[in-house]
Amino acid sequence: MTTAPGPADPFVHPALFYGDPGEYLAGTVPFVRAALAADEPVAVAVPGENLRLIQDELGADGAAVRFLDMREAGRNPGRIIPGVLRAFADGRPPGRRVRIVGEPVWAGRSPAEYPACAQHEALINAAFRGREVTILCPYDTARLDERALADAHATHPVVIPAGSGAERASAVYDPEGVVARYNVPPGPAPGAGPDVLGVAFDAESLSAARHLATGHGARLGLSGAGLENLALITAELTTNSVIHGGGTGALTVWPEGGHVLCEVRDKGRFTDPLAGRRPAARDQRGGRGLLLVNLVADLVRIHTGPEGTTIRCYLGR
Amino acid sequence: MSPEPARPRPAAAAPVPAGPRLDVYPLTGRRGFRAAGEVSLPTRVIWERALERAVREGEDVYYLELSALTFVDVAGAGVLADAARSLGEGRRLVLHRPPGSLPRVLDLLWPGLAGIEVSAS
Repeated sequence: MTTAPGPADPFVHPALFYGDPGEYLAGTVPFVRAALAADEPVAVAVPGENLRLIQDELGADGAAVRFLDMREAGRNPGRIIPGVLRAFADGRPPGRRVRIVGEPVWAGRSPAEYPACAQHEALINAAFRGREVTILCPYDTARLDERALADAHATHPVVIPAGSGAERASAVYDPEGVVARYNVPPGPAPGAGPDVLGVAFDAESLSAARHLATGHGARLGLSGAGLENLALITAELTTNSVIHGGGTGALTVWPEGGHVLCEVRDKGRFTDPLAGRRPAARDQRGGRGLLLVNLVADLVRIHTGPEGTTIRCYLGR
Repeated sequence: MSPEPARPRPAAAAPVPAGPRLDVYPLTGRRGFRAAGEVSLPTRVIWERALERAVREGEDVYYLELSALTFVDVAGAGVLADAARSLGEGRRLVLHRPPGSLPRVLDLLWPGLAGIEVSAS
């Protein structure tokens, strides 16, 4: 409990609990309408079916609202801060609050996605500290499990209990604790097998490793932009290992369900939890590799610790 | 975390340490260069020098013939973005048939960048 924002922090990040469509609309639509009435920029980034609920309720008033299907724009939780939230909030005229309804956690999130979702919700607080922004995050009490609902109390400084409309401080707010708790290994990569490419790399073999990864990705069914993305992800992760991660690493590429997974391990350690989640400043040279990985992958899981760092990326095939 | 790193598979999957190449040739008949090979960490410096020359030469339009370029990493795209930004008003780089991912990377990481035109024909 070291990170509770002071009373002066203009960033507001409530979790809105809802049990049915009525509670959903009662919690979100007045928020959007208040923004419209105050001429404040407002976006709604929620799963498609909830997006349609809000759009139907707003009718013609929705014309001034930016709508995004979070299932697409926020499929990879690591993409949401740079690609959805800051993409909308940055560059707005000062003096006017930016309001966003953001629903990154829904019942269909897979066990592989969920830890990245929880970390994302926790990191929003650091990413927007000090900014004139409100991000309202709806949580479906009827369909989400207990863990997701409990985590929402730890990732949001304020909560709005289902059907109440009344905001109160969360007694268990602890975003850094959530980031640490979900800094877990993504499960072992498979050992050798016909579908598994495992290769050690260093500065001399960066290019060869990338070629092996794309050759294998093509055999596993990637093509077009998906295969280009595998090349980019492999290049950025392996180059990072060579420059920042001790000079060498291990690359593994294998299939899992509808995805091709690409994992890089090295001896480096991540010290900045927001790495790859900030839009690059216009004049910033370098430092965009992990941001690109977050923007193009369907899921990025990161585990980092004294023993090294593992980054696992999922690409739809 | 499993104690073992991803095991390198023997022989078949061990990368052959053949160095990647990037070759740059001046165009004949118009200002610009043709690049063949890939832009990655080992070849980045060649790419940087070629683009520094492009900026220095001061032409309004400078052509980059990139159909034989197989790959450009994010740092390589950044070199291009920096070059485009330092061109100044009215000047531009025309990328002829770049690898498909390059315009996409530029759009994702340098949205609204002026000074670069992509030509597919």
